[in-house]
Amino acid sequence: MAVIDVVNLSKAFGSNVVLANVNLQVEDGESLVVLGGSGTGKTVLLRNIMGLLTPDSGHVAIEGKIIAQLGRDELFQVRQSIGMCFQMAALFDSMTVFENVAFGLRRHQKMTEAQIQARVEECLSLVGMKGTDKLKPSELSGGMKRRVGFARAIALKPKILLFDEPTTGLDPVMTDVIGRVILDLKDELGVTTITITHDLKSAFEIADRIALLFRGECIACEKPADFKVNPHPVVQQFLRGDADGPFLLDPPPPKRIPKEAHA
Amino acid sequence: MVLTVFDKVGASVLMATDTFGDFAVLAGRAFAAIFKRPFDGKNLLNQFQSVGVNSIPVVVLTSLAVSMVFAVQLAFGFRQFQAEGLASQVEGLAVMRELAPVITGLMLSGRIGSAMAAELGTMQVTEQIDALECLATDPIHYLFVPRLLASMLVVPLLTVVSVYIGFWGGYLILVGVEGQSAYVYGNEFYKLLAFKDLRIAIYKALVFGTIIALVGCWKGYRTQGGAEGVGNAPTSSVVTSSLWILISDFFLTKLLLV
Repeated sequence: MAVIDVVNLSKAFGSNVVLANVNLQVEDGESLVVLGGSGTGKTVLLRNIMGLLTPDSGHVAIEGKIIAQLGRDELFQVRQSIGMCFQMAALFDSMTVFENVAFGLRRHQKMTEAQIQARVEECLSLVGMKGTDKLKPSELSGGMKRRVGFARAIALKPKILLFDEPTTGLDPVMTDVIGRVILDLKDELGVTTITITHDLKSAFEIADRIALLFRGECIACEKPADFKVNPHPVVQQFLRGDADGPFLLDPPPPKRIPKEAHA
Repeated sequence: MVLTVFDKVGASVLMATDTFGDFAVLAGRAFAAIFKRPFDGKNLLNQFQSVGVNSIPVVVLTSLAVSMVFAVQLAFGFRQFQAEGLASQVEGLAVMRELAPVITGLMLSGRIGSAMAAELGTMQVTEQIDALECLATDPIHYLFVPRLLASMLVVPLLTVVSVYIGFWGGYLILVGVEGQSAYVYGNEFYKLLAFKDLRIAIYKALVFGTIIALVGCWKGYRTQGGAEGVGNAPTSSVVTSSLWILISDFFLTKLLLV
């Protein structure tokens, strides 16, 4: 049985259909990377998996439990087994790094302060952020915030980790750092992960399978090697990073040829 | 044309019902969450600090100013009828029954209600409230309950402080400026008052405190649209809670004076 089972998932906001009959299955310990252009429903997919949004039709099941049918208490039980890493980290800005990472432990675990301290240090070490526990989120860079967000997400030892565009807005070096942290977390914790990203380099490093969302539909979901040679024009355009092709509804004007080229 | 008017009226009624229903559901969830575990004492103490202790200066200053202005008006008015002695009695009645709870409520809706709306609004647009949900924490329990409890306890206490300051505001004008006897003022201030009046003031403050916290948290929790939404939430919170405080004051006065 798949750990995460997305079945015929559809979600619209008014007349804007964001997801249309999306089907995805993620097996235990598997790493799925979801690619797609901006506004193709990648974040909406994650929010449906977390139960932050309710599907219009279809469902998401985590270990066989259909999220939309769970009561509040059951949903919170399921959420304790999922770590969510937000695009902009979503750290609690009134708390220190330590308090952010310790938040879930204090709420849901009967641990002594020494045990909490040890677990927070362990989590911060795993993401390369040891020694930052007294800092406030406002004192951290974008990449550091994301890594503290990862530490907070893994504190409760979840079985599933969801990463929402963890490298967006970061420089190439920090993008590589984040990619490595995700790989380390996957290897050391053995968790099932879904990562949403635009960064093809880290996508191919992280993924066991890659899915591509296009206009609300999942048009490909396969191993990285197969994805690379997928003949679908949208897949190939996305891999090339080219503006010309079927990917955009409103394509830009043709590329200008530099004047020197005429000479 | 007629259909368009009906459409618009219908849409407005539906929207108002929807808004009120949303507030009622969140308020109900907040009251139900009071009894849920875990109990977050540290969070509650922080709220007592920000809602209560930090509000003392503003309540003292506004209560002093309003009671002094009211004493000036009373002294002037009663002098027309050579009935200056009544000024301190009416001052006592007005401060205890109306000025202290209403001024405290209005000032706190501006100070703490707006702060709650801004804080929760910022948390909403920066996905911190979603992060709470993902960490298996009910935002209503974690965010609403401490603010609601602090506000329900602190607004009545600050109203008692306001009554005390109101006494001295009237004293400064009627004794210090108008030359009434301090002994007579001290007796006359409480002459028309009974214990029931203090109870009325505290009941009113309790309702006002509830309105301030619930409206502030609700407006913040429902914030949408980035910086503009966060900017609008406190304004909307202050206007809504002030309006509800003044309207509920009328009904509470009619109800409690019977």
